Amino acid sequence: MSTLTIGAGPNTIFERFRKLNWGIITILCALAFVGVLMHFSVSSGAWTDMPLTHGMRFAIMLAVVTIAAMFLDARFWLAIAYPLYAGALLLLVGVELFGATRMGAQRWLDIGPLSIQPSELMKIGIVLALARYYHQLDARKTGTVLWVIPAFLMIAAPVALIMHQPDLGTSMLVLFAGIIVMFLGGLLWRIIAAGAIVAVGGAIFAYTSILHEYQRERVDVFLGITQDPLGAGYHVLQSKIAIGSAGLLGRGYLQGTQSQLDFLPEKHTDFIFTMIVEEFGLLGGAFVLALFGALMALTLQVAYKARSMFGKLAAAGVAATLACYVFINTAMVIGLVPVVGIPLPIISFGGTAMFTLMAGFAIVLSIDMHRDQHGARGWLW
Amino acid sequence: MSRPKKIGSTLPKRDANVIFNRRAALMSFLGASVMGVILFRMGQLQATNLISNEYTDAADENRFDTRIIAPPRGVIYDRFGTVLAQTSKDYQVSILQSEVDDLEQVIARVADILGYDAEWVRRAAIRVRGGARYEPQPIAVGLNWSEFNAVNVRLPELPGVVADSTDVRAYPYDIVYGHPIGYVQKPTQRDVDRALEDPEQGQTRAMYLRNPHVRVGKAGLETSLEDMLHGQPGYRKVIVNARGVEMGEDEGERRDPVRGSGVVLTLDHDLQRVAMESFGEHSGAALVMDIYTGDLLVMASAPGFDPNLFVNGIGQSDFDVYNLDEKKPLFHKCVTGVYAPGSTFKMMVGIAAKQAGVEDDWSVSCTGGFYYGGRTFHCWRNGGHGRMNMHDAIKHSCDVYFYQAALRAGPERIAEVARAFGLGQRFEVNVPNIREGLIPDPDWWRENRNEGWTGGLTVNYGIGQGAMGVTPLQLAVMAARLGNNGYAVTPRLVREAPGVSDPAQPPHMSGIEPEHLARVRDGMFGVCNEGGGTAVRAGTMNLVRDPETGAMVPLTPENRSWAPVQIAGKTGTAQVRALGANRGRHYSTIEWRFRDNALFCCFGPWHEPRYACAVVVEHGGAGSAVAGPIASRVMRETLLRDPSRRAPARLAQLEAARGQA
Repeated sequence: MSTLTIGAGPNTIFERFRKLNWGIITILCALAFVGVLMHFSVSSGAWTDMPLTHGMRFAIMLAVVTIAAMFLDARFWLAIAYPLYAGALLLLVGVELFGATRMGAQRWLDIGPLSIQPSELMKIGIVLALARYYHQLDARKTGTVLWVIPAFLMIAAPVALIMHQPDLGTSMLVLFAGIIVMFLGGLLWRIIAAGAIVAVGGAIFAYTSILHEYQRERVDVFLGITQDPLGAGYHVLQSKIAIGSAGLLGRGYLQGTQSQLDFLPEKHTDFIFTMIVEEFGLLGGAFVLALFGALMALTLQVAYKARSMFGKLAAAGVAATLACYVFINTAMVIGLVPVVGIPLPIISFGGTAMFTLMAGFAIVLSIDMHRDQHGARGWLW
Repeated sequence: MSRPKKIGSTLPKRDANVIFNRRAALMSFLGASVMGVILFRMGQLQATNLISNEYTDAADENRFDTRIIAPPRGVIYDRFGTVLAQTSKDYQVSILQSEVDDLEQVIARVADILGYDAEWVRRAAIRVRGGARYEPQPIAVGLNWSEFNAVNVRLPELPGVVADSTDVRAYPYDIVYGHPIGYVQKPTQRDVDRALEDPEQGQTRAMYLRNPHVRVGKAGLETSLEDMLHGQPGYRKVIVNARGVEMGEDEGERRDPVRGSGVVLTLDHDLQRVAMESFGEHSGAALVMDIYTGDLLVMASAPGFDPNLFVNGIGQSDFDVYNLDEKKPLFHKCVTGVYAPGSTFKMMVGIAAKQAGVEDDWSVSCTGGFYYGGRTFHCWRNGGHGRMNMHDAIKHSCDVYFYQAALRAGPERIAEVARAFGLGQRFEVNVPNIREGLIPDPDWWRENRNEGWTGGLTVNYGIGQGAMGVTPLQLAVMAARLGNNGYAVTPRLVREAPGVSDPAQPPHMSGIEPEHLARVRDGMFGVCNEGGGTAVRAGTMNLVRDPETGAMVPLTPENRSWAPVQIAGKTGTAQVRALGANRGRHYSTIEWRFRDNALFCCFGPWHEPRYACAVVVEHGGAGSAVAGPIASRVMRETLLRDPSRRAPARLAQLEAARGQA
């Protein structure tokens, strides 16, 4: 049952290189280029190491990703799915017990010189683990309540731990990615309906007793319960001003007044989309969204073409994670959802989110390349 | 059951691939919808902006800031163009709060460089916190170049500290003009509140007043001529970042400030300085007035104070030095000091007596005292003066004569004459806190004291004692009106300024007979020039007239044959406590504040009167001993300079010359 059919695939390095999904790679490069462009603008047109760092970071990650995709096939990802998940969960517990508190949240785990955020690892871990779970599960069993429980627990445990750090944004991402994989894996509609009811109840419960003060403030401001233009609502207000005043073509590169004069906070990370729209207008923003849309479509295409359920679910899970990142971030900067601190992947400055997504795309590219492989168990299996 | 079940399974058949494909399509659709919503929302924000301009306005409000440019304040000149108050550069160190994390620490480092103590740091921090976050708030002002430089070179290590120069009001002759000119200071909360009472311009005005560089007149002419001197503020539309740091300027929106108008005063700097110096350690007031134009050539109040100390907010210790001094340096004694006129009032009594029909040869015998209403009124001279007519009575300042003259004239008539000569009258000379003084009469007495006027009061009235009070300015006006033969000249301090016109020819005083006036003027001449006059020494100018040019020059052995320059005046000694309390005691044994006030008023030159002078020395003792010499020195200097005959400076020319420089 839990086997991957492995057959004849691309065997020479050249063939593998040629068979890489160049559509996905091109779009990733385009997004990274937008990132470099915007970080140059964040530096007010001065050549600082910020755009350089961003570009270098992406180039190195892309190199690693393509090499990984060429040499690791789905069997590898299947094999490390559970260990990776278990490891990430252990680290999350470790954070809970020994974690370093930075900027008001206990998210980091310092191991020697390394400083890691286990919650990021979990974003990939949950996708792989659930893909593996549904890969091995008989299609008929996915329809029973009993077999929902392990998957539910697999999601609930890390989400609870991450939310307690507190990091609402990441816990939401893990939750959504997990639910989408479960859904694609064949969750029964009536369970989904029941879950939705529980979710609404849970959201109310979370608001009243789990959410931290700063999180509740953001929700309050978002819902219009409180007016707080200089507190939690300031970011969104300034972002809306920037987007609203941008016009169809924007104020021009390096000319965004809200961004260049620092009225827009976190413009290099969470609010970079606002800066894109302010300087390149509605059309610029739509173009970037279109790039992300195309990336999601290509990733889903990989999932569609994959032969194994693991491949399908893993690739779709990465697409779902990407979608969650992009939609939550953009919805956040235009005031559709509360500010939760989620960057725009590949474009925002910072290595963590880029690492998570690029790791995801290593899986996607590898599944894409080796989709036709079938046959005996491999060296890791 | 129509369909057979598969053996070994009770579960419905489900194809995972089919489910995945179907649901993936659903998720794609969902994703596309979310993207659509986001795009729609972005479009909606821009559509809102197209209609209401809401976001563009908000962005502009964010990035544009109006910075006020305080206009250079108008220059104040003396009558010959000497600059008495001007705007000059002040080096200062300010702090931009929004750029500073630990305010106290940064201020402490500045204090280290400038050598200030911890208390200074504490106060500076309080001041800075009281000001706007995004505008530099001055912490150290009035720095000299080396202090300024010491901070300036260390700016890279002092984030948020700004060292620059601003316009500051400077008074080059400091204490000499403290009283008439006053000073400017930061507007107070009361100024802001008052500005806010105007419903239209109030907000703008209040905002302007809160600007750290704005100063408004807070004393003297600076207050009363504020509108004239201040000028029109300009502004710059600057582009600021979120921390309020200026990043650029919209040059097209710049409005340059309009310099405040200059003002030419009637004062003569050289005379004013002499007058201030003449007081030495004494406390009092001196005025010199042109008896035809009313121009105040001297308006001196001693001791003086340094207005420069007030411009940037005076320190408590400096303020205490002034405020606790019993000589009241902050008090403008020329217009605010009210003193009993003492014997200088005798001219008024004399004229009133003449009006009442007292003949020239009417005389009284002074035996040192006058018994009236059950008590004896003493003459200042214990042994008495013997037989006195009006001329001699003024010359010797005989009290007994004027006791009786007052009884013959009656208090109503005396009050009327005194008021006609300006005593108890308010004269607007553009400085604040002008007091009227008081010339009481029986009506006033009944209304305000709830008791009837008595003859004893009239007797006292005769020598300028009792409930009466006059200001030195009024004494000067009285001397001027005596000197000009009865023209109701009024004093003025501002010669040329926008909206100020040349004075009209003063009207002749009604009801004053030239013949009566001549009697008391003769008496005043006697005071200064005849044997036995109470101020012969003070009245001797040691000046002679050049017979060809008419110029008054110092007496030398060579020009001894030329006609002497003479003045006419009157001394006064006024008790400040109960009559006779100081009698028989030596001056040095009397506490300063209980000593008599010394007064002197005069006019001259006798051959062609042009100037009047009044001097009051607080607790100076006898009028002839202290007030006389001061008046003598000031008057001699006035006659030597003869400022009224020299061409005064014209404001237009002064301003034009300044504009070029």
